Amino acid sequence: MLKKADNNALWAVIASLVLFLIGGLLTTVVPPLVDTSWSKPFENTDPAKGPTGKLVKLNAQQLQGRAIYIREGCWYCHTQQVRTLLADTKRYGWRGVDAPISTPDEFVNDSPHMFGTKRTGPDLARVGGKYDEQWHRTHFRNPRDLVKGSVMPPYPWIVNNPVEFQALVAYLQTLGRAKDWRPANDYEK
Amino acid sequence: MQEQISKAETGGAPSPAGALVHDDTTARWFIVSSVAYFFIVGIIAVLIAAKFVWPDLMGTIPWLTYGRLRPLHVNGMLFGWLLAADMGLTYYIIPRLCGVKLWSEKLGLATAVLWNFIILGAVVSLLTGWNQGWEYAELPMFLDVLVVVAWIMFGANIFMTISQRKYEAMYVSIWYIMGTIVWTAFVYLTGNFATLFATGTNQANLNWMYVHNAVGLIFTPVGLAIAYYMIPRSSNTPLYSHKLSMVGFWSLAFVYVWTGAHHMIHGPISQWLQTIAIAFSVMLLIPVWAAVYNFFATMKGQWHQLRESVPLKFLMSGVVFYLLTCFQGPMHSLRTVSAIVSKTDWIPGHAHMAVLGTFSFFAIAGIYFAVPRLWGKALHSEALANWSYWMMMIGGLGFFVTLWLGGFWQGWQWNNWSIPFIDTVVALKPIWVVRFFSGVLIFVGIVMFAYNVLATALGAKEEPAV
Repeated sequence: MLKKADNNALWAVIASLVLFLIGGLLTTVVPPLVDTSWSKPFENTDPAKGPTGKLVKLNAQQLQGRAIYIREGCWYCHTQQVRTLLADTKRYGWRGVDAPISTPDEFVNDSPHMFGTKRTGPDLARVGGKYDEQWHRTHFRNPRDLVKGSVMPPYPWIVNNPVEFQALVAYLQTLGRAKDWRPANDYEK
Repeated sequence: MQEQISKAETGGAPSPAGALVHDDTTARWFIVSSVAYFFIVGIIAVLIAAKFVWPDLMGTIPWLTYGRLRPLHVNGMLFGWLLAADMGLTYYIIPRLCGVKLWSEKLGLATAVLWNFIILGAVVSLLTGWNQGWEYAELPMFLDVLVVVAWIMFGANIFMTISQRKYEAMYVSIWYIMGTIVWTAFVYLTGNFATLFATGTNQANLNWMYVHNAVGLIFTPVGLAIAYYMIPRSSNTPLYSHKLSMVGFWSLAFVYVWTGAHHMIHGPISQWLQTIAIAFSVMLLIPVWAAVYNFFATMKGQWHQLRESVPLKFLMSGVVFYLLTCFQGPMHSLRTVSAIVSKTDWIPGHAHMAVLGTFSFFAIAGIYFAVPRLWGKALHSEALANWSYWMMMIGGLGFFVTLWLGGFWQGWQWNNWSIPFIDTVVALKPIWVVRFFSGVLIFVGIVMFAYNVLATALGAKEEPAV
């Protein structure tokens, strides 16, 4: 049958498109229909089922902070996903508490998504509430002042712009907070 | 099949009376601009590699920070250099395989002008931080629309040329190019437009379908089209097997698109979709090995030709890198391997072997082959071309190998959570120093290549054709 595609351009195009579309449709259109957790915002009130909490929409300031995060390309070096690996839950935990695994229902408000692919710096999926504003100010001015050996670029133009700086910190403090995972409620502001 | 290629090829050499003379204006414009972007974006590549070694370097100027330059490096290399070079070579190959002139040189020239406008627009928008926030799809919407327009212009020109072809049977390169044009349309629309209607995991799934298939169904098929044309032509040897090339093509068409979710192994996406992506990633070995075997078998008894021919050196090194990179891909989609290498520096090592080691090598070979025929004179310097190969080969190997070692090491360290994250950063610093110097070698190779092509094109040395 595919022999025909040797001599007939239209046939070759149609056959290659049909073969492509089988996989194309089954892996893009079908999964969100099958797996509804991709589009249902996280909400849990039963501690027996894991961390409780509710996914809330970002406010205007947090959204501005997110736009800065995108503009500066933070997502090229920082992922936002605690994977189903013991090492991830341990490494991105805090003060003896393991970080909960990231689930699709925590990200339904995200567009563009910020999952990322590369960890030149640490994962930020649960960074919200780990460091206070003063820490972030010093760190953004020159990361090496706080973390010796860091290769993160300095961002003086953000620190020197109070509106942008506070927006960015406000956004960072929301990360991972849909799940209330700190038993002592010891989140920094 | 080889006979057909030979018949179709007239080149810029003085042709016998009555033979078809190709105009090639479009091919020339695309090739010259792609080579210029290869050089310009190469500077940015070296700069961002340097930032890993000296993080404060030019760090206080917003538009020269890593976060702005990296998307420019990626988009500039993918669309400014590689895709433009591939399109230029398509404008060269298709009329020769079809035995007719390009359908419209005017339309082709307009496409070249539009493409250059898109790339310049990308430079400005990315440096100002105007970034849509999706990998490989960073460009603002108005540029995305122009890319679609340019692609339609390109596709129309190529399909019209194919429909008027003189030889009924189509050589394998023609199928691959037709496949590239139709698949790219869908893949690009998914990654740049369908994503607007989705959020979170659903959007990420569309994004990875695009990212993966930008390499798998854009650069792979057009790159293989070039290799299938250039390997037999450069070595003057017929292709080993037509049937095997069919196996490779039709399995590629079916298998590739399923694999996008392997970018999120262990991540917040359904396990069953990860399993599907893994299964199809392993099946990718079929189209890859079919093509690689065909190329190796074609070269059987002809390997001595590599000594004299720079295009063949680039082509066959590209084939070896293709075999390696497409062995890595299926392997690190496996859950156990992914747990170590995913998100580490292994991944840029892998990606550069695909885009630089394989598909850029194919394009460079094609350009070295085509330039003397396009401008009707001998290449400016064969010796310089040979040097450009060795610079890129040694620099490339230094780059790939150190990042694999470093990435693997980094992954092991990450899996031991008693090691603080910053220690895993500091541990990689020697790796990044080697990567920077390897990058410098690659860049020197690019400068030699670009100078050689431009010196030939601009007529630094007037000599009769080869």
